[in-house]
Amino acid sequence: MTPNGAIVLAAVLVGGAMLTRDLVGLAALSLFCLGFGAIELRGRTVRALAWSAAIMAPLAAFMAVVWVGVVGRSPGEIAAGVTGTRAAALTHVTVICTRLFLIALVTQLVILRFADMTPLAFTRALRAPVVLKKLIALTLSWIDTILHAVDRSRTALITAGVITPRFSARNAANGWILVQTVWLSVITIAIGRLRDKWPAENTLARLDEALAAPAPPFRIGDGAWIAAAIAAVATARVV
Amino acid sequence: MRRDLIVGDNFSGRSAALHAGLKQGETFFVGPYAEAALSGLSSTVADEIAIYARRPDDAFAAIDWTRFAGRKPATLSGGEQVLLALHCFSRSAYRAIAIDTALEQLDAQNRAAALAWLAACSDVTLIDNRIDHIDGWTRRAQAGGASDHACDLAAMMTELKPRAAPVVSIRAVDFAYAPERPIFRALDLSLPPRVYRLLGANGSGKSTFFKILVGVLGTARGAFLLDERSYDPRREGNRVFALATQNPDHQWCGATLAEDIARRRRALRAHGVAPPSDAALAALASKLGVRSADQHLYELPLAARKRLSWLWPFSGAMPWIMLDEPTIGQDRATRQALSAVILHLSRIGHGIIVVTHDDEFAGTIPHQPLRITDMTIRAA
Repeated sequence: MTPNGAIVLAAVLVGGAMLTRDLVGLAALSLFCLGFGAIELRGRTVRALAWSAAIMAPLAAFMAVVWVGVVGRSPGEIAAGVTGTRAAALTHVTVICTRLFLIALVTQLVILRFADMTPLAFTRALRAPVVLKKLIALTLSWIDTILHAVDRSRTALITAGVITPRFSARNAANGWILVQTVWLSVITIAIGRLRDKWPAENTLARLDEALAAPAPPFRIGDGAWIAAAIAAVATARVV
Repeated sequence: MRRDLIVGDNFSGRSAALHAGLKQGETFFVGPYAEAALSGLSSTVADEIAIYARRPDDAFAAIDWTRFAGRKPATLSGGEQVLLALHCFSRSAYRAIAIDTALEQLDAQNRAAALAWLAACSDVTLIDNRIDHIDGWTRRAQAGGASDHACDLAAMMTELKPRAAPVVSIRAVDFAYAPERPIFRALDLSLPPRVYRLLGANGSGKSTFFKILVGVLGTARGAFLLDERSYDPRREGNRVFALATQNPDHQWCGATLAEDIARRRRALRAHGVAPPSDAALAALASKLGVRSADQHLYELPLAARKRLSWLWPFSGAMPWIMLDEPTIGQDRATRQALSAVILHLSRIGHGIIVVTHDDEFAGTIPHQPLRITDMTIRAA
């Protein structure tokens, strides 16, 4: 499979998840994703499942408390002005959470499928204008800059005793200091690059050159998976 | 062929002269710290190389970068980042390179290799506080001018507070960033208070050791003792080690000096440590070159930021002092004055661990060398 094939496949599946409105259809799409993972990723599928479940769990718990515990009926029932049931609210929460879980799972499956490629190599292989590829590369680098700033700000504040390395009341009270320090660090790092490094080198032109490779053509595997995904989406809409 | 060595004291305008002389857009630039050494456009070491690589031959490769291909550049040590920058230049289409004090972060072997390799390049401009002359290079001297941030370390001596630093014992400590990347295994060490110099190649774990002692990084196994009493910095909070990081910007707790001081004072009190008074800290900061508490830390020149990073280690708030590459960016006079301060602090009871690749500086301070080797630390 090629990166372009994976992007199209992901778009089809995410679109399908957005269009599918019932649990059975979403379950069908989930089964398709599991099949894709089993063939393309094998054992790493478990990692994708665990990551997607972990990232969805807090939202699922929150929605369950609000809709099932507090509101006690679904949005459709509220709109219709009927009494409603907690079971309907639970169905509503399950559909929303399954849909988001599916989107997280598709994203993670694609990321893991191309884990052996560096972000730059993946971006370079995309069939897209250089401007868009550059935007993706800059966005990824910006994320890395923020993560680096978090790491160094955390080091500074733990060393000074302003926050602690573990959960604590002090962290709750001083969390905003961490946010401020991270933001100051990000700005300092960005200024350092923009003022000294990038003008001297015209570094962004080097990025353009690095991204300006022709995209590899689609392969048979891409077509097969995309066709199967379209079929799965159609099935999910019918059942 | 152009090989320029720009020399001068701090604040004499060397960096400005370097930037004024380089061809904008055509010169590879290696600044003093990561944000000005690496492109900032890559998520991995392999990508950083790919952005620049235009030729496979003539590469400067002090490290086998294939082993680091998947690492995030920001997670490399300071020295490794400089070596990566030099490798990228050696693979690039640039003909000119400008280096602003970055080579000071390299260990002796890598530094010698880098200088030898640069001597064969066609267009090099270098600032390095430890080099006053290189045969065959043009020496461009910058006249020293008055600076708002001049420091007076000698005058600071009388204000340094005596401490009775505890003996630090480390028992059977294991630490790894990942299972495949162990740093320390069964580390045993006893450190009575005195001056230590921690040695090790770039990336061997020197800064990591400091982060473990202050509780930023947690160990998989092992224990810490202070005068034979248990000490867990991750649980209790750091109340023993004052750390001046290699990059001073890695230790600020506020936007201004006043904000930084106020937050640290509150944190120290919370840990049962009596902080120095505001007046004492202001006096100390003034001698380190910052006269106003309203000074924005990030707006200071780099050399001044580095000096101000010694404020808390020298304040006497904590009995142990850890200085990570304190001489980076500092001129000869400041390095000499700093060595006198470290000696004095040791005499009045502080324990001090210094990481420095500056052999000349280390030679001026009687110390016990410690070397990181085979994932442990041994007296050298």
